[in-house]
Amino acid sequence: MVDLSLIRNFSIVAHIDHGKSTLADRILERTGVISAREMREQYLDDMDLEREMGITIKANRATVPYDFEGRTYMLNLLDTPGHVDFHYEVSRALAACEGVLVVVDATQGVQAQTVANANLAAEADREIILVINKIDLPAARPEDIALEAEQVLGLDAAEAVFTSAKTGAGVDELLQAIVQRVPPPTGDPDGRLRALIYDAKPDPHRGIISHTRVFDGTLKRGDRVDLVAVGRKYQVTEVGKFMPKPTPVDSLSAGEVGYLFAGIKTLTDVNIGDTVTHSSHPTDNPLPGYAPPQQMVFCDFYPGVGCTTAQLREAMEKLWLNDSSFTYVTVSSDALGIGFRCGFLGLLHMRIIQERLERESDIAVVQTAPTVTYEVLRKDGTLKRIESPSELPDMSEVQEIREPVVDVSMLIPAESVGPAMQLSMHRRGKHQKTEYLSPTRVMLIYKMPLCEIIYDFYDKLKTCTRGYGTADYELSGYQAGDMVRMDVLVNGVPIDALSVIVHSDKATVRGRKLISRLKKEIGRHMFEIPLQAAIGARIIARETIPPFRKDVTAKCYGGDVTRKRKLLEKQKEGKRRMKTVGNVSIPQEAFMSVLNPED
Amino acid sequence: MVGLDDSVHAPGRACGLYVHIPFCESKCGYCDFYSVPVEQLDTEPLLRRIVRELRVRLDDNPRKVGTIFCGGGTPTILPLEELTRLFGEVSRAGPADQIVEFTVEANPGTIDDSKAGLLVGGGVTRVSMGAQSFIAGELATLERLHSPDDIAPSVATLRRNGVRQVSLDLIFGIPGQTLDTWSRSLDRAIELEPDHIACYGLTYEPGTRLSELRQQGRITPCDEQLEADMYLGAVDGLCEAGYGQYETSNFAKPGCKCRHNLNYWRNGSYIGVGPSAAGYVDGRRYKNIADIDAYIRMMDVQGHAEAETEVVDTQMLMTEMIMMQLRLVEGLSIESFRERTGVDPLAVFKDTLNRLVDLGFVTVSDTHIALTRQGRLISDAVIVELAATCGDRVDGPH
Repeated sequence: MVDLSLIRNFSIVAHIDHGKSTLADRILERTGVISAREMREQYLDDMDLEREMGITIKANRATVPYDFEGRTYMLNLLDTPGHVDFHYEVSRALAACEGVLVVVDATQGVQAQTVANANLAAEADREIILVINKIDLPAARPEDIALEAEQVLGLDAAEAVFTSAKTGAGVDELLQAIVQRVPPPTGDPDGRLRALIYDAKPDPHRGIISHTRVFDGTLKRGDRVDLVAVGRKYQVTEVGKFMPKPTPVDSLSAGEVGYLFAGIKTLTDVNIGDTVTHSSHPTDNPLPGYAPPQQMVFCDFYPGVGCTTAQLREAMEKLWLNDSSFTYVTVSSDALGIGFRCGFLGLLHMRIIQERLERESDIAVVQTAPTVTYEVLRKDGTLKRIESPSELPDMSEVQEIREPVVDVSMLIPAESVGPAMQLSMHRRGKHQKTEYLSPTRVMLIYKMPLCEIIYDFYDKLKTCTRGYGTADYELSGYQAGDMVRMDVLVNGVPIDALSVIVHSDKATVRGRKLISRLKKEIGRHMFEIPLQAAIGARIIARETIPPFRKDVTAKCYGGDVTRKRKLLEKQKEGKRRMKTVGNVSIPQEAFMSVLNPED
Repeated sequence: MVGLDDSVHAPGRACGLYVHIPFCESKCGYCDFYSVPVEQLDTEPLLRRIVRELRVRLDDNPRKVGTIFCGGGTPTILPLEELTRLFGEVSRAGPADQIVEFTVEANPGTIDDSKAGLLVGGGVTRVSMGAQSFIAGELATLERLHSPDDIAPSVATLRRNGVRQVSLDLIFGIPGQTLDTWSRSLDRAIELEPDHIACYGLTYEPGTRLSELRQQGRITPCDEQLEADMYLGAVDGLCEAGYGQYETSNFAKPGCKCRHNLNYWRNGSYIGVGPSAAGYVDGRRYKNIADIDAYIRMMDVQGHAEAETEVVDTQMLMTEMIMMQLRLVEGLSIESFRERTGVDPLAVFKDTLNRLVDLGFVTVSDTHIALTRQGRLISDAVIVELAATCGDRVDGPH
């Protein structure tokens, strides 16, 4: 029988780069689960891309034994992504544990994502342990930062644990704090089975591995179970714990965290947040589950040169089976042919998916500029959600267009308040609140249209705060705006993939900037190319790309052939990421230039 | 003499022979061919290896040599006895009636009667003279050693000694050049009644002094539109004077096209000997090392001095045929493309061709795909379009 008092379930949340994954690695190492020899840098980040980008994308997990005062505790660790795009993963992890380590960098202090994550934990009523990390750095100010965290997050600075995940300092104290402060799970091992599926991943050989936390009852190999929400029955073929490699055990009972295999074939068959219960004695009180992840940002993927729609579809299907948090549906563009409209949790998510598509399937993808979901109220009173400017009905039918609005919280140095406010105003932000967390740190809260921040808001904020500012956002609703559709004509041909919905106040300026960016990106051709931006029939900006006047290799004799051919082959390769529309080759960068409102 | 202008260089028939003599009096600011100033070196040791390579390559070569081109550098800078020896060796390439053309490059002011006589005696039929410009300031910009006044006497010397064909090279797009000075150079060249004229747009090759000066902002390249006007001016002016354009930069009186170069542009085979020389024999390309000392060492140690080699597969051949044959006014031979690549260009390039024809840059006849006058002005862009098409549709070797 499992002794609940010896179990601690906790997750780690932090702003990107505050050392969360390194800390998780150190815990694994300290508890002897992974020897230093086996230790790869950041063991828990197992995707190449994650390691390359230095971020955690998918939540990770491990069960580690820890001896304290003569007793052996089982600590279940859930590492979560720090990026704002992956909030939903944090919520999932929180639902599976009793305690949370909120990690703060001792040199950088509390960041916007720290606040968001700590708030999630507090709302979920979890025990929060404040961890001030990176105390080994020369610029570390652990006590100041602890006081700041007390001010911002309402956590007692006196109870903060100071660590250096790099040197291992403070890790023992942290493990003790986990044992002493995180409450043991409650639950009835003999009750009717209620196990939460908090994550699921495809296993190359055995279908889906479901990550699970048992709340009541006991789950054993061979059990016949129901997945309540999807309404399917399965037989459990294996249960186990992450040690951190999946290691089979006889059973998982109330309070424990582990995994199960049950012959589930694909991610489509499993609903994250679902409750697993025994078919013979089902629970009549399933767990609340999760809201499905909300796609906030949309763009189209079209096959690049040398790639067919069928190949792209295959690549998307393959990737989706690995990460079902993006959506895709077939779209047809007049200019670009058949492609896919995809929905993402945010911009980072979009970038990751595009990179994985190209890398894992070795194809070239042409991506259009990301856009947000708009609500269009028609004059007949019906509401339509659109994810692309091309879906916008004729403006004569439109009563109003509503755009998504978010609450943006920015944590910035006091001296950057002016520039940050200017930036926010420029992005149509409405000031909500200014809060001085300390004489040097300020939290600004603005209501802002989502479309104003999806591209480069974070970068711009970084620039205007000398690298110190961070921001996070939360969807607050939809709001009517004076929006219009701006179309772009290249060589007289409207390119639907370049259309954009903009605020009418900004249309002319955006149009001019867009056209001049396009001029640069498209470059000279064999003929003159007029570029126009239009709202309806009204041209609001116009430029012309002059043609090549002369583009001739003067000499090409016997000794030049190889070099010239290689040059030509390189140019051919460059065309792979281009789309040819009405004789004009439009590079990937041109589609993305729609985005950049500043340059 | 063998056959017609065209047929002698068809693949499987004769091949060209190129001999590279990498010595110059001094290096010109725009030139990126491999050469070194001659006073630094004893030329004999290198010549001995070149002769050896020539023998080996000719012995291994099953084809007849139809044309010879001796370039550089400035081959005529060699001492008389070495030139005599070189020509003696080169003459082993084939009997005089088989060698339809034997060109040597020369610079104005470097040819006297004894040298010209030696050339003719050695079998040379054609001299290509680097006149470049008839304007003193422009020659100075190009860092040429000769003066405009050297050109006419040199041509006269060649004629007097019985050189059958004389070609003059001219350069346009020189910084500071105007339409007026360009047409003066053209006129003066035409007055000398050469058989052949080549007009090259000035190219800033990486690593040359001119390219460096440009990067430093010390010279301003010619405006692109002006360069286009100069080019079209040359095409029209030369045509009027009886020089038909037959390649991007080459113009000839009837019957005076350079057959050796035509072979390059028709993707024919050729042997190359000497430092930095390239050869293309039986579908294999090689390029010798571009360093005199290394060349000598490699010749002594391993019997050849190839620094790079590659076997040209079908995909590469397609690209090369487009790249080279579209330089010709006659264009890409549909039949030869089909025969050598196994691919019908009209089918493979159909959409691109239609587009380019609609735009007025390309014409398609029963036998050839060719650039129009407008297309020739932007030939690089047109060639990329076509080359990119053949990359799409054909995977792997056929």
